[in-house]
Order: sequence, then C-alpha cells, then structure tokens
Amino acid sequence: MVKSTIIDAPVDRVWAILRDFNGHDRWHPAVKTSVIERHLPSDLVGCVRRFQLQDGSELREQLLTLSDLEMTFSYCLLDTPVPLFNYVAHVRLLPVTDGNRTFWHWECRFTTPAGREAEMAKMVGEQIYEAGFEAIRRHEALAA
Amino acid sequence: MAKVYTSSVVNAPAAKVWARVRDFNGLPSWHPAIGESRIENGEPADKVGCIRDFRLRNGDRIREQLLGLSDYDMFCTYSILESPMGVENYVATLRLTPITDGQRTFLEWTAEFDCAPEREAELVSNIGTGVFQGGFDALKRQFGG
Repeated sequence: MVKSTIIDAPVDRVWAILRDFNGHDRWHPAVKTSVIERHLPSDLVGCVRRFQLQDGSELREQLLTLSDLEMTFSYCLLDTPVPLFNYVAHVRLLPVTDGNRTFWHWECRFTTPAGREAEMAKMVGEQIYEAGFEAIRRHEALAA
Repeated sequence: MAKVYTSSVVNAPAAKVWARVRDFNGLPSWHPAIGESRIENGEPADKVGCIRDFRLRNGDRIREQLLGLSDYDMFCTYSILESPMGVENYVATLRLTPITDGQRTFLEWTAEFDCAPEREAELVSNIGTGVFQGGFDALKRQFGG
C-alpha cells in the first residue's frame, strides 16, 4: 500500500517534524499519547514507541531504520488490536527543487486474514497516512 | 564528482508523463532545447545500449547511450559518450514516481559527472536549471500545470 503527496514547505522543515519517532502524538490526529519504552532516545534505532489512539486502543511499533542523509525511516508493528501482521512501513522525503517543496512517500506491507485486505488497506491508507498528510499540511511550524 | 538534482511536479498521471518521456529518441517532441535526434544503426529506441545522436537548437551535437530503462519503475539512465560540454563520466537518470494524492507525477532528474573544478558551478547550473528544469517546465506546459 502506497500513499504519496506534495507538502508546500521545504523538505528539511518537514523532516524535522517527522524524524522524531515519538513526536506523532503532537501532529497526527489519530494519536493521543506516545512514549518511548525504557526511556530510550527516539532516534535510537531499535527503540519502541508505545502509543494510544484516540479510541483508547494501544499499539507498539519499533524503529527499524533512520537516516538523516536520505530522510527516510522505517518501522514495524509489534502489537496492535487490529489484524495487521508483519506490518513494515517506510517513510521517505525528497526535495522538490522546483518551488522548494517536499515529496512525501509512505508505504507499507502487511498480511491480514483473507477477505480483510481491502478494509485494512483503506483504514491504514486513509485514517493514518492521508490523515497524517493533511495534519502536516496544516502544521503551524510549516505555516508560511 | 559533481552532482545535479532537479525535481518537479506535473499535474498528470505518471503513466501519461512516462509515455511522453520514455522514448529515448523522443527528446525533440517534448524538450525545447533539442532540435533533432536519431538512434544509431537503426536500433529500436528502447533497446538498452542504443545510442542517440542529437543536436541542440544551438547546434551542439551530443551522443548518449541508454544504460537502463524500466517501464515498471519508470526510470531511464544514460551516459554521455560525446559532447562539447567538457564533462567526463557523465551518467544521468530521469525518474517518475506517482503522487497518489491528486493523480500527479513527481519527476526527478539527476546527474553525476567529472569536470574541471573551475567549471563545476557553471555546469551544475546549466544542466540543472537549463536542461533539466527546462524540460520539466516544458512538460508542465504540455500537461497543463
């Protein structure tokens, strides 16, 4: 499942927000609270974020890679109340030199029980990825 | 080694933009700086290894070889064999990526090359702004934004 968009702000400013693996409760509307387990730094590869969604459900995700040079990170789901298994996601930012904007690419792979693929892809794609795009688009730190 | 990175957005689906730019012999049909082009030895323009011999509108002649072409990943990589530009080991890639939000296309055009140090800034600017962004601007006009 792939979603991508253009953010009308310079890539380093978007990256400054997204690179904090524990910062999503401050910008993503679906995330209520988030902590990094064992008080590890949020840019330590291997750290685990434990977070609650607005509906109270709790998830744990582990940071697998983080690159400030490539402006990418990837992570996997460890625990979730919904049937998303083997979920690995990749976030990648690229500069749009024409207009000093940002191309944001967010993709994942997962397995789920037969028959629920479309439902899970729609949930992740719309409620997490596209909702995240919209929240960053309106982020006060990126206001012109 | 000098590097050039130019990227832009065209308001058309990636498949449509790719259909325009994938033809290694098709620069004159969309790039305003290119006057005429032919593929040497009568080879197909999508045969990896083929060579295009083309002229800029200013009369300069350039020969380039197709090193890689992917309709799946929508990229094309090529090298310069002969040019009056004063570059060595020049390899460039034009890559298209779909933007799912709004049926648009993200375009990247990159190049790496060696040159005399005192000419690097001028070459990077001419290639990045003139050739690459000039091509993107033409595509934006052709696809309405």
